[in-house]
Amino acid sequence: MDNKEVILLRKALDRQKKARVQAEKILERKSKDLYDVTLHLKHANSKLENLLSEKTSELDGVFINIIDPYVVMDLAFNVINMNLSAKEFLGYDHTKETINLEKLVHKDYMEYTISSFRSLLELGTLKNYKAKIYVKDGSEKYVQINCSLIYNKEHQPIAAQGIIRDVTREMEISHLLTEQKRQLDIIIENSPLSIALVVANKIVKANNTFKNLLGYSDAELKKLCLKDISFPEEREESNKLMTLMESGKLDNFSITKHYVRKDGTSLLAKTSINAVRDEQGVVEYQVAMIEDITEQRNLELQKEKLMKELEASNQGLQEYAHIVSHDLKSPLRSLSALATWLNEDYKEVLDDNGVFNLQMMQERIEGMDKLIDGILKYSSITAENLEYSLVDFNKIIHDIREIIFIPKHVNVIIMNTLPTINADKTKIHQLFQNIISNAVVNIEKEEGVVAISSLETDSHWQFSVKDNGKGIPKEYHEKIFKIFQSVGDKERSTGIGLSIVKKIVDLYEGEIWLDSAIDEGTTFHFTIKK
Amino acid sequence: MKILFIEDDTIETMKLHRTVSKLQMRFDIVEAKNGEEALAVLRSGDELPDIILLDLNMPRMSGIEFLRILKKDDKLKYLPTIVLTTSENRADLLECYRIGIAGYVIKPLKYADYELKLQKVLDYWSVNELVKA
Repeated sequence: MDNKEVILLRKALDRQKKARVQAEKILERKSKDLYDVTLHLKHANSKLENLLSEKTSELDGVFINIIDPYVVMDLAFNVINMNLSAKEFLGYDHTKETINLEKLVHKDYMEYTISSFRSLLELGTLKNYKAKIYVKDGSEKYVQINCSLIYNKEHQPIAAQGIIRDVTREMEISHLLTEQKRQLDIIIENSPLSIALVVANKIVKANNTFKNLLGYSDAELKKLCLKDISFPEEREESNKLMTLMESGKLDNFSITKHYVRKDGTSLLAKTSINAVRDEQGVVEYQVAMIEDITEQRNLELQKEKLMKELEASNQGLQEYAHIVSHDLKSPLRSLSALATWLNEDYKEVLDDNGVFNLQMMQERIEGMDKLIDGILKYSSITAENLEYSLVDFNKIIHDIREIIFIPKHVNVIIMNTLPTINADKTKIHQLFQNIISNAVVNIEKEEGVVAISSLETDSHWQFSVKDNGKGIPKEYHEKIFKIFQSVGDKERSTGIGLSIVKKIVDLYEGEIWLDSAIDEGTTFHFTIKK
Repeated sequence: MKILFIEDDTIETMKLHRTVSKLQMRFDIVEAKNGEEALAVLRSGDELPDIILLDLNMPRMSGIEFLRILKKDDKLKYLPTIVLTTSENRADLLECYRIGIAGYVIKPLKYADYELKLQKVLDYWSVNELVKA
């Protein structure tokens, strides 16, 4: 080996030494780096672990602190976890017993529950599931549940979690409302009044009575405006009122108008419209109540017609009474004349008996004439014939005193000033004259007194005519007011006088009665409505 | 004095004749049994009566119907017409005065009363100045 070669080898060895030192240095540095990284990793790991446990405990807190019952179940409805609120609500505790939620569901909701669960599996979430369940103490509760699925790493659903809301109270209220609405509907549907709800002249709702009355179905009514079922000539008035109502000047009104049925016939109805306003006072609804008064109106018209007929027939009867009385009185006048002439012309041939018979004939004729007059007077006392004026009753008595025959021993006196009343003068005259003339002729005492007095009650005037005559037996007190019933033994009496009195008192809505004692006297009392 | 007596009842006619016969004054009585007959008499061209005594209830044409026709006639309407009737019907009385009458006398029941009433009526018209005279 030459020097050169040695030198070369030495140099190479040197380079190798240097390279090793360098490599060692790099290694040393790398290993320090590695150590640093390891150290760092270790630190980071422990930091992560802390974070995780922190989050877990945080979640636990949330879970426990959810106010609503919260439940986690497996896909066979078995409870895996539940919060305190759920335990309280359901009454069960999953740590002490197995709870299968499906078994709590009310049988009416079973089918719905199964289909809801299917939908949950499909979509992953379920909202607004509502059902009736039994809790542990056996009571029924209405629940509303929102839930979602829980998946594993492979995205397979393994459980479901849900929040339960107790809606029992809400459901009870809602059921109560439904029931009340049903009751209200029953009342409205069964009302004899036709009721309709109107919005902007359109019928939005009507009860059965309304539909039956007009013959339209619900659907048909909804297409109709109010004017479609009204008479064109009557629209103006109701439109005017409707406008007033909309402007707030009127809250309700009532009119009588015609309606047209589906079949084209019409009816007359009393209609009441009430406005239902919103908070701003704008008309929200109009409630129309309709009462069919066609029948009522027909009855009224019929009544009116009957009244007219009755009036005409009364008039006819009056005429008839006059004609009959005339036709009866004329022959009486002839008979009277003939009897008089017999007496005058045949004085020489008539003996006392003949003269007496002719005189008897005259008396009978006179009696009959009076009877006819009485009947005519009696029949003419009707309400239609009353002519009212202010009548001074004192003057009436004075007049009667001058007209009728009063025996010398009898005095007709007025005890207190009699009233002046709005009445029919002729009838009042007839009334007093009949009573007074009865009284004055039936007094056998040396000094006869007929005393007239009056007193005022709240509703009536009461008059009394008191005499000191022979009195009327009790059994006749009713009878004497009946027509043709005479209790006097005087042949002249027709038995009509007091029935005329009674009829006049009846006309004035009064009463008539009498007190009487045999041989002491009689007092007639009668009243006249003010 | 000439009287047109419109009356359907024979005895009433007898009553008037008997009453008149007792009076001193002479009366010429023309009789008619109803309104139609009376109109015929009035329109016959004969001398018109001074007064008319008219019954109301008659067959065919009643007294009131006759009165209406009479009062529509320009000439005949001046004849004083006195109603002599049994009717006390106030409606009749009012209607007669409405149409136009010179008097309304109700026949009394007794003949003696009749005589007195009729004498007064005839006396009254006797002292009156009459249209025709």
